[in-house]
Amino acid sequence: MNSIDQKLSEIKKNKKLGIMTHVVVGYPTLEKTVQIVKTMAECGADFVELQIPFSDPLADGPTIMKACEKSLNNGTKVRDCFKIAKDLSSQVSISLLFMAYYNTVFKYGIKQFIKDSKAAGISGLIVPDMSIDEEGNEKFYAYSKTFNLYNIQVISPASTEQRLRKNAKIAKGFVYCTARQGITGVKEELNPELSSYLKKVRSHFSIPLAVGFGISKKEHVKALKKHADIAVIGSAIINIINFSKPSEISKNVVQFMKNLDSK
Amino acid sequence: MKNKHQNNGHFGLYGGRYVPEMLIPALEELEKAYTVAKKDDSFQKEFTDLLNNFAGRPTPLVFAENLTKRLGGAKIYLKNEGANLTGAHKITHCIGQALVAKKIGKKRLIAETGAGQHGVATATVAAKLGFSCTVYMGEVDIQRQRQNVFLMEQLGATVVPVAFGSKTLKDAVNAAIKDWIENVKDTHYVLGSVVGPHPFPTMNRDFQSIVGREVKVQMKKREGKLPDYIIACVGGGSNAMGIFYEFIKSSTVTLIGVEAGGKGEKVGEHALRFKGGSVGIVEGYKSYFLQNKDGQLQKTYSISAGLDYPGIGPELANLHDLNRVEFVSSKDREALEAVRLLARTEGIIPALESAHAVAHAVKLAPKLSKHKIIVVNLSGRGDKDLFILAKAFNDKKFMKFLKEYTQ
Ligand SMILES: Cc1ncc(COP(=O)(O)O)c(C=O)c1O
Repeated sequence: MNSIDQKLSEIKKNKKLGIMTHVVVGYPTLEKTVQIVKTMAECGADFVELQIPFSDPLADGPTIMKACEKSLNNGTKVRDCFKIAKDLSSQVSISLLFMAYYNTVFKYGIKQFIKDSKAAGISGLIVPDMSIDEEGNEKFYAYSKTFNLYNIQVISPASTEQRLRKNAKIAKGFVYCTARQGITGVKEELNPELSSYLKKVRSHFSIPLAVGFGISKKEHVKALKKHADIAVIGSAIINIINFSKPSEISKNVVQFMKNLDSK
Repeated sequence: MKNKHQNNGHFGLYGGRYVPEMLIPALEELEKAYTVAKKDDSFQKEFTDLLNNFAGRPTPLVFAENLTKRLGGAKIYLKNEGANLTGAHKITHCIGQALVAKKIGKKRLIAETGAGQHGVATATVAAKLGFSCTVYMGEVDIQRQRQNVFLMEQLGATVVPVAFGSKTLKDAVNAAIKDWIENVKDTHYVLGSVVGPHPFPTMNRDFQSIVGREVKVQMKKREGKLPDYIIACVGGGSNAMGIFYEFIKSSTVTLIGVEAGGKGEKVGEHALRFKGGSVGIVEGYKSYFLQNKDGQLQKTYSISAGLDYPGIGPELANLHDLNRVEFVSSKDREALEAVRLLARTEGIIPALESAHAVAHAVKLAPKLSKHKIIVVNLSGRGDKDLFILAKAFNDKKFMKFLKEYTQ
């Protein structure tokens, strides 16, 4: 069994909306990343995406892009991400996932990356620019399966029926639905067509739906409860980090996360 | 020599479509529209009409008689793509893409630009064919090609400075892709070279292949045979693939790509993707990239903004591995000398990018017999490089003029 399944069944049993939060490893520092993830775990996050910083993050908006740039300027290496994952997985009981761009995986060695991720206690991989159509050359999904890592597919409101079908065949754990057609980043309003879009997705996928991109306030989370199984909070927390004094990051993350879940 | 495995945009190990799922529908739509257009006579007619009666094709194949005499070896011909409207080969794939975009109902064109040539060409075509237009350009490139920003704005385009990463061409590509993701419904991304996800490398190569076809006809008429060498500079590779494609199967024609040697061998001093790079997957395609062990793209440098890019077209990567295209490099200094030499001997001031190809011909020609023929692709003309050239040549009068002009 994969720890993602465990979390998913807990969420289902408790009839709650699961929470997946996100960090860029090494932002603002490696030590802070560890501290922030622990804080997230304490505040009830079910999953945390550990984003491996990349020089050219295609699907990310300015907030995450700047965090990647800063982390790389601090000297963060891919092996630091594995080390942090390993440290964290022995200390927290939440599911840890790597979010990476495909070049990071490819350069490391596809099989080795997946093997080492498993060994570091990672449960799933979110690699948005690894396309199903390239599996023939890459064997990314095949190796993920071998090592029991869940490949989390990312789909969008622009995904056609045909693409949804194709993704549904290969998706594992849960499916990551971007709330809107766009890149990562905080938005005031949720996509008004969210419910019909998620209904369409549900008709193709039997696994739970996670919704991310732009989720930043309790109104968003509340609205998602009706339609989704997991809310993903990314850029909003990086914004908290940006606005916080280093000594107050944890406190402010706690406050933000508590507020998200308040009635 | 065959170019196998072209399906789904793969060229041997390279190419492909490595993009987030959100871009797949747009790329599928584009691929479908292009496949139809390619076989559609009325599309081809409209494309050819705009090339001939708007952009100014065919471009001349110039016998560089004085340069040939001076070097005392092979005969040198120049395919003068600088004679195109907007001064470079780029307008050809802009016209092609804009016509496809029109077919799928897009209203807005976006583009990245390095030297500004592709941006100016896109803005020009947008004005002519009735699209709105936004061009992304790295802040570093804006600094060195200011006049092209002005021209794009005069053509009605909005130029957006890119302040991320190395603030050059690759970052402009990233910014344009993000715009495309956000506005895919009404927007077409006019990618400016034979790079990026499928179908861009194939589509732009097809549009540009008119260059090689013209050379073949012009050469037959002038010399009654094929050239022995074809030399082109390689940024992403659109001008090179354009002139090479027709000759790939002609094994007697040696094809040479010239990369930017910049000012040195260290990381960040050049853009030598084959010598200094390794295989990776960035910006939607698999190819050689200048990157570190972790796969982070490295800084590149060249005096020519158009060659200052860490990736290279996937078809060229394959042709490199197959030993069908030979890759060499010219340094900043050699390109600058080539500009001067060509200006004085032939009355043509080449773009700094193209001057890299000229510089290699200058090295090669004296080693060859007088019966051999070299064709150099002059991808653009040098007007855009006025400020860089004046500075590099330390032209005191021009600097004085600039100072006084702004007072
Ligand atoms: C005149 C000229 N030549 C060459 C290039 C390099 O591009 P490519 O390798 O795609 O021809 C550029 C790009 O800006 C250019 O402006």
